[in-house]
Amino acid sequence: MNDLWTTFSTAIAQLLSGDPELWGIVGVSFSVSASALLIALLPALSAGFTLAYFRFPGRWVAISLLNSLLAVPTVVVGLVLYMLLSRAGPLGDLNLLFTRPAMIIGQILLCFPLLVAMSLSAFQAADHRVLETAKTLGASPLQAFVTLLFEVRFALLAAVVTAFGRIIAEVGSAMMVGGNILHHTRNITTAIALETGKGEFVQGVALGIVLLVMALILNVSLGWMQSHSRVLRHGT
Amino acid sequence: MRLELNNICQRYGEEDLFVIDQLQLISTDAVHLHGPNGVGKSTLMKIMAGLQKPTSGEVRRMPMAGENMRRQAVIYLHQNTYLFDTDVRSNVEYGLRMRREKNTKKVDKALAWAGLGHLEYRQAHLLSGGERQRLALARALVLDPALVLLDEPTSNLDIGSVARIEEMLQDLHRRGTGILLACHQDNALTKLCNQHWLLAAGKLTVQA
Repeated sequence: MNDLWTTFSTAIAQLLSGDPELWGIVGVSFSVSASALLIALLPALSAGFTLAYFRFPGRWVAISLLNSLLAVPTVVVGLVLYMLLSRAGPLGDLNLLFTRPAMIIGQILLCFPLLVAMSLSAFQAADHRVLETAKTLGASPLQAFVTLLFEVRFALLAAVVTAFGRIIAEVGSAMMVGGNILHHTRNITTAIALETGKGEFVQGVALGIVLLVMALILNVSLGWMQSHSRVLRHGT
Repeated sequence: MRLELNNICQRYGEEDLFVIDQLQLISTDAVHLHGPNGVGKSTLMKIMAGLQKPTSGEVRRMPMAGENMRRQAVIYLHQNTYLFDTDVRSNVEYGLRMRREKNTKKVDKALAWAGLGHLEYRQAHLLSGGERQRLALARALVLDPALVLLDEPTSNLDIGSVARIEEMLQDLHRRGTGILLACHQDNALTKLCNQHWLLAAGKLTVQA
């Protein structure tokens, strides 16, 4: 019990001391996951909108495939990407293996299906009169799309928060295609795995606290936004 | 503006919902469209407003002599009007924003016209049924529309609200906006109309 408490308090102290190595690892995690999310967001929203509003051959196959991809383990995504990016793989010439761009690609593959599936649900649940009202009041197709995004903003924010939570906490893909190189590709989850393997729990606990606090902040913010929206809608 | 429909056919599956050879609506008209449930009144209005494409046929918008070329808006108002998830003022400003036009005076006037000036910063979802309809009309008014197509605008409204909507529509018509009103029952609003269209059994009949 004493050991646990000592580890926890040392981890807190390390966080508060501004340890450059520890915060550098946090920085890698946030920059990689934020980049992946930003790159995936617009194409994913467009795909979700297309699946929700347009009927075309193969639509149900695409939706089924998308739902299947939601359950793909992160390590499988890492494995496939590793085979593609390794020297002998078809994309080996790009020299991306064990780099941050490789980690970003892996996380894009992980968050894209989730963003599409959740935005598809949001668009399907949206009132069909939104687009008609926007168009009849003179909105162009792009303006009407932006209006729809605004009307379903809370559901889309939930999708973004969920996707960010999934990719910043994933370890399989980051470990396989990132290589866990200090100051380059070592992120929170791969560092925790490494430190735990070495029996050094302090840094792992400190990084775990960062992840937990981040998850708490994201979810409390989302909850506040959703409840605020309900108050505005119903006045209670 | 003159709205012309030529050889319009709307099908659902294998069946014709309606076939209309020729029809026109001009911005001096006030028309009452009636007919049984399910004959396609809302669909026809959406086709006229350009929100839906007919299975075949064409809809043309032609400016009248001496009319402002920009005055081409044909606005369709749903039976249960949809208000954007913002405040009352932002809802009125919406159409102007889409035109990249900022005109505070126009918005103020529209809010006052609809009797919503004191509610301008209230969230639109908090409005009563009558206030919602008035906001929908104010949102249309700021765009100076050539035609307004109203789908059952008085359903679920009390007598006072119907009278208020009637006054607003009368005023809108006086300002040169054509009105097409889909309504099941005759009421104060339908008395404003100088034409009556009956849509039944897939055909549209213009009545005196």
